Amino acid sequence: MSGQPDLARADLLGMLADMTAKPVDQVSHRVGSMELAWLVHLVEQRYQRRLDLTDDQLAAIRTVDDALAVFRTSLTSATDG
Amino acid sequence: MVTMERPTGEPATHDPEWVDDMLLGGGSADVCLRLPEPVDRGTLRRLVAEAQTRLAAAGLRPGGAAALRLPPSLAYVVNLLATWRSGAQAVLLDHRLTDHEVDRALARLTPQVVVAPSHVAGGALRVFVDVTETVHRYADRPATSGHAVIQLSSGSTGPSKVIGRTADDLVAEVRRYTRIDGVALPGERIVLLPSMVHVLGLVGGLLYGLHAGVELVPPTRLSGDAILAAVRAQDTPATVLGVPFHIGLLASTRPDGPLPQFRRMTTGGELVPAATAQAFADRFGVPLGNMYGMTEVGVIGTDLHGEHRPSIMPAPGIEVREVDGELQVSCPASPYVGLSDPTRWADGWLHTRDAGTVDPASGLVTVKGRLDSQVSVGGMKVDLSEVESTLTGLPGVAAAVVVYDDGITAYVQPDGPLTEETLDGLLAERLAGYKRPRTLHLVDQLPRTTTGKLVRSVPALRLTAP
Repeated sequence: MSGQPDLARADLLGMLADMTAKPVDQVSHRVGSMELAWLVHLVEQRYQRRLDLTDDQLAAIRTVDDALAVFRTSLTSATDG
Repeated sequence: MVTMERPTGEPATHDPEWVDDMLLGGGSADVCLRLPEPVDRGTLRRLVAEAQTRLAAAGLRPGGAAALRLPPSLAYVVNLLATWRSGAQAVLLDHRLTDHEVDRALARLTPQVVVAPSHVAGGALRVFVDVTETVHRYADRPATSGHAVIQLSSGSTGPSKVIGRTADDLVAEVRRYTRIDGVALPGERIVLLPSMVHVLGLVGGLLYGLHAGVELVPPTRLSGDAILAAVRAQDTPATVLGVPFHIGLLASTRPDGPLPQFRRMTTGGELVPAATAQAFADRFGVPLGNMYGMTEVGVIGTDLHGEHRPSIMPAPGIEVREVDGELQVSCPASPYVGLSDPTRWADGWLHTRDAGTVDPASGLVTVKGRLDSQVSVGGMKVDLSEVESTLTGLPGVAAAVVVYDDGITAYVQPDGPLTEETLDGLLAERLAGYKRPRTLHLVDQLPRTTTGKLVRSVPALRLTAP
């Protein structure tokens, strides 16, 4: 795999919908600590690798978009490395 | 609301012997914690004695109080035990509380010393972290009550929010656990997920484990795979202790061979939906147990074999009765420090504010949800009225209503230009993350009744923010 990982906003919303048992269009775009743990868990499973995220990176995640940006950065650097 | 001052007893020097008798005994080489490096009882006793010296040097004396503002860590365990062993009271402050919330608690409870991290190490999503702590002097007063531990219900200090438990009460709860069928047995392990600052992780995990000789194993991080790795790490039987959210984490892992050590998962906090319980049983083939408890009294009842779902059987020595649809629990003395609301505790009965029933024939208790504005977020109690009053007090906010609608949801009517980001920033200074609204709606006009009262009905509120 190279370049941008194929992780989209819709993927994360789908994961949150699974967690909350709600339709995707009703999933909140805000991400709390539990949602974050859930997303990290499923993204790691999908890419079969551990995301090495710093506390600062995690603390900055408040929305699905924030999470997507951080996950993509982490997946890209892991691919490059 | 009528509140009244109840005497909470003269600040008393606790006889610290209970700590050694109940918790710190056992062979020096016996492992009590795996972080994942094993910590044996000899090491724990040495660390506790060293911490006592540091606490005393900073001004802690018998009959005083130490506030612990520490994330789950060996430092937290050591300083908690050292505080008790010093004959002092431990004030437990969740590390997620903001400076604003902590300052109010300290001003109210005037501990002699505050223990806080000077350095926290450890990767993201860690359940247990490495902490280097500092102890600093705060006040020079005796503890505000003779309790061994003070906990803040929903992390705030209003009437009936400051909860004290005596050493005798903690000892009684630990003994209660030893009489419940289905708890981890001596020589076994508890994979510990709930925070040890709160009652389930504190008494059901830490204190019971130390007393019974059950190893406590926090997973290396908060993920399904890490929890299973913790189960797999030793040959001895393991019970996973958590809240319903953790069931989902576990159930979404990929099967990776048999796990004969896995004996049971037990959750506290909110009820587990039947479908979730069934999916868990299908995946792991072990019982999913359920516990019901409160900060004020600890464990009230259990269904550790998952055979009475959704009901629970009262724990040995605990009486539960139903009065006008509300569950009440036997509790000989008021657990509240200072201002106590007589509608929360009276005449030896704690009013749980949980709706429920007690089956007269079997004694089984069924909890049917809250009667007040308190909700549970991942096992953490949050009082919606606190969130609402915090929002209402912010600059730029004319009125606010906070409800629980698949998460904490706030409807805010601004009285000028106000953005969601600005509100977020202001709230982040005042409320711990788990209390903050998951969804914020800025609306032109909140719905009101004809008499001008704010409407709290969820369907009506939804209409204001399509």
